[in-house]
Amino acid sequence: MANQKTREQTVIFTQMVAKKHGWVLNPDTAFYDSLVDGLTQNYNRYGYYHCPCRDSEGSRELDAPAICPCVWSKEDILEYGHCYCALYLSKEFAASGKEPQAIPDRRFKK
Amino acid sequence: MNLQNLPVVTKDGTRTDHEIMVYALSTCGFCKRALAFLDAHQFAYRYLYVDLIPIDTKNAIKQELKQRFKENVAFPFAVIDDKKYLIGFIEADWKMTLGV
Repeated sequence: MANQKTREQTVIFTQMVAKKHGWVLNPDTAFYDSLVDGLTQNYNRYGYYHCPCRDSEGSRELDAPAICPCVWSKEDILEYGHCYCALYLSKEFAASGKEPQAIPDRRFKK
Repeated sequence: MNLQNLPVVTKDGTRTDHEIMVYALSTCGFCKRALAFLDAHQFAYRYLYVDLIPIDTKNAIKQELKQRFKENVAFPFAVIDDKKYLIGFIEADWKMTLGV
């Protein structure tokens, strides 16, 4: 695939998203690094930054809501303090020192 | 579920009191945490990265899990002793279900 992203480009992407929304990146560097690797891998195989913690449905059209930052991230960060992946945290949650835990996938909420 | 010819990884461990099969994504942080938890507690288990297999096969596995457990499939999805299941990695839940 011609258009490939490097890990460094993905780091910059996540920094820009966090800055735009007033979020902070997960301070657990090993966890953050694994998500950056996952996002980079997804970009380079799908052509877009599909959420690394959700499964691709096989097309950009079907995957659109799960392209990072996903459409559920704002609500999840408001309710739980972090997104589904725990890549982005609210400033308050980050300051609390709590460790993110898995949360329900909002796309399945009725 | 027929997992023959799929790249299922078998991990050895001293705890063999549960049969554990984990469906995971190779890109997912909580999936990695779940596998690390099983390693740390020395469980023997198997796992499959479903994002690394053909999409038709993956969808068939997801459909079977959904029908069997009446749950939407998210990852990690662990099947314990062929009857219980865990979705997502919440350490307290995994500890309780696995008797840690």
